[in-house]
Amino acid sequence: MSVTPRPIAAFAIANALGMNEAEVVTALREGRSGLGPSPIALPFETAVGALPGELPELPPELAGWSTRAARIAFHLISQLEEPLARLRARYRPERIAILLGTSTAGAEATEEAYQHYLAQGSLPPEYDVFRHHTYGAVLSVVRALTGAEGPAWMISTACTSSAKPLASAQRLMDADVIDAAIVGGIDTLCTMTLRGFHSLDALSTQICRPFSAERDGLNIGEAGALLLLARDGDGVALLEAVGESSDAYHISAPHPQGLGAKLAMERALAQAGCGPSDVDHVNAHGTGTRLNDTAEANAIFELFGPEIPVVSTKGYTGHTLGAAGGTEAVFSILPFREGWIPASIGAAPVDEAIRVNVPTERTTGRFRRVLSNSFAFGGNNVSVLVRSV
Amino acid sequence: MSGTMEAAVVGLGLFVPGHPTLAHFSTEPADEAARIPAGAFLDPRTRRRASVVTRALADVYGEALSQSGLDPRDVASVFGSALGEASTMISILDQIFREHGPVSPMKFVTSVHNTAAGLVSIASKNQGFATSIGADYDTPAMALAEGLGLVVARGMPSIVVAGEEPSPEGLIPDESTWGLFAGAVALAPVERAPKEAMRVRAFVSGEPTIAPSETSPALSRSPVTGILDLVVALSRRETGRLRLDRGQGRGFVVELIDPTHG
Repeated sequence: MSVTPRPIAAFAIANALGMNEAEVVTALREGRSGLGPSPIALPFETAVGALPGELPELPPELAGWSTRAARIAFHLISQLEEPLARLRARYRPERIAILLGTSTAGAEATEEAYQHYLAQGSLPPEYDVFRHHTYGAVLSVVRALTGAEGPAWMISTACTSSAKPLASAQRLMDADVIDAAIVGGIDTLCTMTLRGFHSLDALSTQICRPFSAERDGLNIGEAGALLLLARDGDGVALLEAVGESSDAYHISAPHPQGLGAKLAMERALAQAGCGPSDVDHVNAHGTGTRLNDTAEANAIFELFGPEIPVVSTKGYTGHTLGAAGGTEAVFSILPFREGWIPASIGAAPVDEAIRVNVPTERTTGRFRRVLSNSFAFGGNNVSVLVRSV
Repeated sequence: MSGTMEAAVVGLGLFVPGHPTLAHFSTEPADEAARIPAGAFLDPRTRRRASVVTRALADVYGEALSQSGLDPRDVASVFGSALGEASTMISILDQIFREHGPVSPMKFVTSVHNTAAGLVSIASKNQGFATSIGADYDTPAMALAEGLGLVVARGMPSIVVAGEEPSPEGLIPDESTWGLFAGAVALAPVERAPKEAMRVRAFVSGEPTIAPSETSPALSRSPVTGILDLVVALSRRETGRLRLDRGQGRGFVVELIDPTHG
């Protein structure tokens, strides 16, 4: 069943490469990683992707909701004031949805509050789980800042969290219950995530090197990406299709042949009514772990063959977890305008077991359709297909 | 929200401590031996590692699926919870900040909000759509919206599940604590469901006409009590408008329709 492509009216982005689109694009063009030392004290070595600038404080009326995630949301929404105003002028507030993804929400605030609890026997007086921890807390802030009054939910499917809202928005538009949606996601650095991935032996002690023969794990990053999706009108790109699947194999390991990953990509292509040869580039999930990169490359090879350029951007930003899908949906849109795809930094020498074309230099060309992969714990797989206008 | 979505209800599930199934809840006194969900739907290898909320979510999913006639290897699933695996998160916080020790890898991988979605997909060998969402007190309404979107826009049957474990000790003020429970609603396109199947239409305007179900104060304070009210009302074939948030969310209302009533 083909679905109606929907215009992506605008986007805003912040991650280790920069606090806005211009800074991010410059770093990608120059092949410059944003990964560096962790601002969070850790009993081990690893690089992380921290935001390189200060975040604004929330407006006074929302000060009681302040968390790092909420401030990232505010920072991004501030960059979208004009396109948001245009959406509000065209559509009724109750027809504008807020569909976001995160894996952490306010976890860093809860970590701080819990340390206070352990030290003093009570939570800090200003801490409120429904203002500082839950998914709904961030949604409340976004609703207040944007005036969107439609359905609002946070998807939390680990590393696919912010890719799936694009599909949710598409479905609600097709069901004619909304006209526009603020989609994407936000994730912040926190101790639990860093210590948790360390417990799995999944972290690299260096800057990660997806698809390289010498890769030894991933880096965690924080990020936010918001995209404005509309029923119709002008856009910087079209959201064409979103394929979703489950591995049904293991809670934390990918299927070795990437069967679930392949299924998600196939479903995206089927939904768009196109074939593998119609896709010009794959933005890979490409975390830098041995198992994940091999499984994904197998799936891409099986579907697309060896020629299509496959780039991982995790070497620039780290794995931004719940923000990765939204962040990399934006990375997939950029080649339409820029006419290049970034180098898959750190990949050289590419692992011989990786049978796809991983460019280690920036590649220029005409890009009309790009597929972006996100895979997660729970065997959750999402492939987002975007097209130039 | 303007515009509505409608689907047929082809299965229901409920776990309340003392009542392992909806049928038990409807007809039997509480069974003290059934205060903890069995997690019978889960793969035996993972069951013992699953939290109580994951077990409860899996059990109600299984109950709704078993009534529905839907293909367990294909049906889409939507899991809703405001706080998800909060007790697992707290035990990780304890490992880090109280014990100053390493984090358990198993606890970490089962701390994600989509743990239940992942384990259920593994148990049923389902390579279809699975998701996990939260929206505070609107969680039941928004999970239903996601499930209805799948049915209406894609013709995909879906099982919408919502549940919450007991409120995490220390994080919630004493006067606001809640208890464990979970509920599930299996949805299918109206044209592919039995003619007598109840229907749910979301979202509608107007004041609610169906009273919330009678529950203990601890259950009524849960962010997902709306799913309990929905499951109970559907099981009784009540018709009219039902609010899904007990007054603590944004006021989303659904209409329950009995097609056998004229």
